[in-house]
Amino acid sequence: MILKLALNGLKKKQRDYAILFTGLIISIAVFYMFLTLSLNKEFILQNSVINNIQLVFLVGTVMLSVITFFYLFYTNSFLLSLRKKEYGLYELIGAKKLQIRRVFQIETMAITGISLIIGLILGIILSRVVSWVLMNQLNIGFIQFKVVYLPAVFWTVIYYLVTSFITSSIHNLWLAKISIIELLRSEIQNDLLPEKPKNAALMIFLGLFLLAIGYVALYFMETLRFIGLFTAPIATTLGTYVLFVALLPIIVRKWKRNKKVNFKGINSFTSGQLNFRLSSLKWVLATIALLIALSAGAIAGGFAFKNDAFTSIDEHWQYDATLYNPGAAEMAVLDSIPVEEQLTYRMKLDDEFIYLVLDELNAAPPLIRDMVTYEVVRPDPLPEELEIEGGSQIVSDQWFTALYAINPALGGTKSTRIVPLEEYELAEGEEISIVLARTADFSAHIEEWQKLDELQMDIYPDLVTGFDPETDSVATKYAQFKTQYAIASGTFFMGFFLGLAFLTMMASILMFKILSGANNDIRRYDSLRKLGVRRRVLENSLSRELFIVFLFPGILGLLHVFVGMRMFTFIMDEPYYRLWVSILIFLAIYGGYYFFTIHLYRKIVLPKQ
Amino acid sequence: MKTILQANKISKTYGKKGTAKYTAINNLSFEMKEGEFIGIMGPSGSGKTTLLNMVATLDPLTDGEITIDGISVSSMNEDQLSDFRSQNLGFIFQDFNLLENMTVFENIALPLSLQNKKLDKIQSSVHQVASLLGIGDITEKYPAELSGGQKQRTAIARALIHEPTLLLADEPTGALDSQNAATLLDTLVDLNEERKVSILMVTHDPRSASYCSRLLFIKDGKLDRELFPSGTRDEFHQEILAVLGDLDRIPLAGVRS
Ligand SMILES: Nc1ncnc2c1ncn2[C@@H]1O[C@H](COP(=O)(O)OP(=O)(O)OP(=O)(O)O)[C@@H](O)[C@H]1O
Ligand SMILES: [Mg+2]
Repeated sequence: MILKLALNGLKKKQRDYAILFTGLIISIAVFYMFLTLSLNKEFILQNSVINNIQLVFLVGTVMLSVITFFYLFYTNSFLLSLRKKEYGLYELIGAKKLQIRRVFQIETMAITGISLIIGLILGIILSRVVSWVLMNQLNIGFIQFKVVYLPAVFWTVIYYLVTSFITSSIHNLWLAKISIIELLRSEIQNDLLPEKPKNAALMIFLGLFLLAIGYVALYFMETLRFIGLFTAPIATTLGTYVLFVALLPIIVRKWKRNKKVNFKGINSFTSGQLNFRLSSLKWVLATIALLIALSAGAIAGGFAFKNDAFTSIDEHWQYDATLYNPGAAEMAVLDSIPVEEQLTYRMKLDDEFIYLVLDELNAAPPLIRDMVTYEVVRPDPLPEELEIEGGSQIVSDQWFTALYAINPALGGTKSTRIVPLEEYELAEGEEISIVLARTADFSAHIEEWQKLDELQMDIYPDLVTGFDPETDSVATKYAQFKTQYAIASGTFFMGFFLGLAFLTMMASILMFKILSGANNDIRRYDSLRKLGVRRRVLENSLSRELFIVFLFPGILGLLHVFVGMRMFTFIMDEPYYRLWVSILIFLAIYGGYYFFTIHLYRKIVLPKQ
Repeated sequence: MKTILQANKISKTYGKKGTAKYTAINNLSFEMKEGEFIGIMGPSGSGKTTLLNMVATLDPLTDGEITIDGISVSSMNEDQLSDFRSQNLGFIFQDFNLLENMTVFENIALPLSLQNKKLDKIQSSVHQVASLLGIGDITEKYPAELSGGQKQRTAIARALIHEPTLLLADEPTGALDSQNAATLLDTLVDLNEERKVSILMVTHDPRSASYCSRLLFIKDGKLDRELFPSGTRDEFHQEILAVLGDLDRIPLAGVRS
């Protein structure tokens, strides 16, 4: 009976539920996709490149599950707030507390169940799409990849059911304690007068101070390490909350004090709305700012990672191709691209040593990156006589790097001997030629590098003992790039979808909060219409009001990102590279939510006649 | 005396095509001279609110024509109607319709703000009207902090500040106790007599109706009869009660077609 009533009540608030649960559905879909990508067992065994990506997605899963927990907790409390009054009425007509509590729990679990079904279907589609895109980008086949992967389904279902059980149980305890009067009254309390902020100056100062600490910790993360890792999120979060709580009411107050502006047109209404809205939403808005920081940060982080695959590979490899015994096929490929510099060295291998020709090296020293100054230089000429200590020749640090660049595949296997030409001629062993080639832009000729690597695959088995073409990869810039790029692409997708999930969660919280207040506004807009305010003017007022509401968390969230991206300097070279692209992507999605909210709001408060 | 309101054979039919039609106002005509204080009475469902809303340009007519201060409102589009309302009409509603998110001052000032009047002018007008209505010392409060009577006086101040041609009131005393209702009606009478504000008021309450200078009785969407005060207010009150008793004996509601 009560359950039937409750179901009806649920139907009436469909719109609010739909908004709340889009966030949940997207979270489930992304969670499932991450899990499928990281758990597919046969797939891991098959592919060494993929191995690395999977760890990335596992990290993503953990991050998503933490935020999802808080999101579920939050939405569950909204859920309760939507139904409080109704539950109060049930109790009034004689339903027992226990019955009501059971209804609430069933409702929550049912909604989670429905979201799980939709989310999993969406997740399967998403895995299909993402794996397909990754496959194409990385030029590898996802042979054993299963889009519908039962362990992933299992863990997704378990995680979401358990989490919503926990959160609804917590709220259930609260429901048990609350009195019937409070339940019935809860809807009226919506419009509290905005209170005068106490100790506002002190609070603002404290907020700024905390933010400053957080930012310093973010900025000097590299030196602060663990201290920074803990201080940054805590201080930034606290700072954000304190600042929003203290600052928002003050801003509107200041605004209203400018009477010239306030008493112009409909401004007094708009600022009045904002005054109430900002002070009732300050906590939510602070949360939104943090979620924005996380989502934009995730998107930008993934993006920067992907770019880093290109920039960091150029840091470490000055030459784009390193070819052992190149044949006509290899040379044809090199001829087809604009090579800026091409160097050839000879090398002999006997049982003990790798021999290189001193004169050849001095005649054409390769470019290297100096490990101390970080500049790209050619090493100074080698002396005629090289000392030998403990069985190996002593060379300068620069030449040490250069020798590795010349002979990346074999350099570490045997001791190297740099000898004059006459001595080299006398040495035993087969001669191997090495060709280094450099172009202006490594990323412009990816296909050629790949072709060269394939050709070298035939040569390596004779060259390197125990080389297995099935599992091992050649020691080239491209091979390293490929691994790096796979991880980076994985991180990019992970970041993007993580960001998207955070963003939908934040948008659903914000939209829910704004739209659930809309019903109170219907009367206000109707009064204004009666008083003779044009529809356009009302529409503008509404857009402006919501713009401000969206603006504040947007600004602070992005500021967090600008500062926070620096944190990544300890794993990549240019975390800020093309940050604007990610910011634009973020703004497009966020803006989309803004316009969608306005649209829904207008439909509620300004119905067409 | 100038005619400020003329309703010529107006009708209002509710219900869209296909659904059951319901005629709430049926071929009704009346005139209002400047400075009149007209009360509209009638049984519940007789069409009083509908009539007032049509005059207020909030509800379009099905048939007929309404002219306010020489301007025909039937032919205006939505924006023109909005502007017309904001310049020529003042409203008082039963549930006050104050904007809770604005202070008393801001509420009262709104009609002038909407016309983009100068700040000085707005401030002096608000102070003047507020003190006229005895709410000069609560202008910085929010509606939630006011009593019912104070809210209603705020609503009146807002309805008057832009000196409208016509003040429309739908059961303005409905949510007030008799003490507050009497004060309110005295205020309306004062406004009507001293400032020559024309008032059209819907009311259920015979006591309130006795303050008017003319009463229109509506029944089944038609004008049933008119009544003018002849003696004292109390005598008029008795007269009204008699008429209402008479009306009540006949079944109410409109005409189905
Ligand atoms: N929007 C509408 N759609 C359909 N019928 C309506 C609508 N508004 C009013 N009516 C009908 O028109 C008739 C007149 O309604 P109106 O509100 O004018 O009555 P009233 O005289 O103000 O009554 P009361 O004294 O109870 O306020 C009623 O029978 C009502 O049911
Ligand atoms: Mg009515």
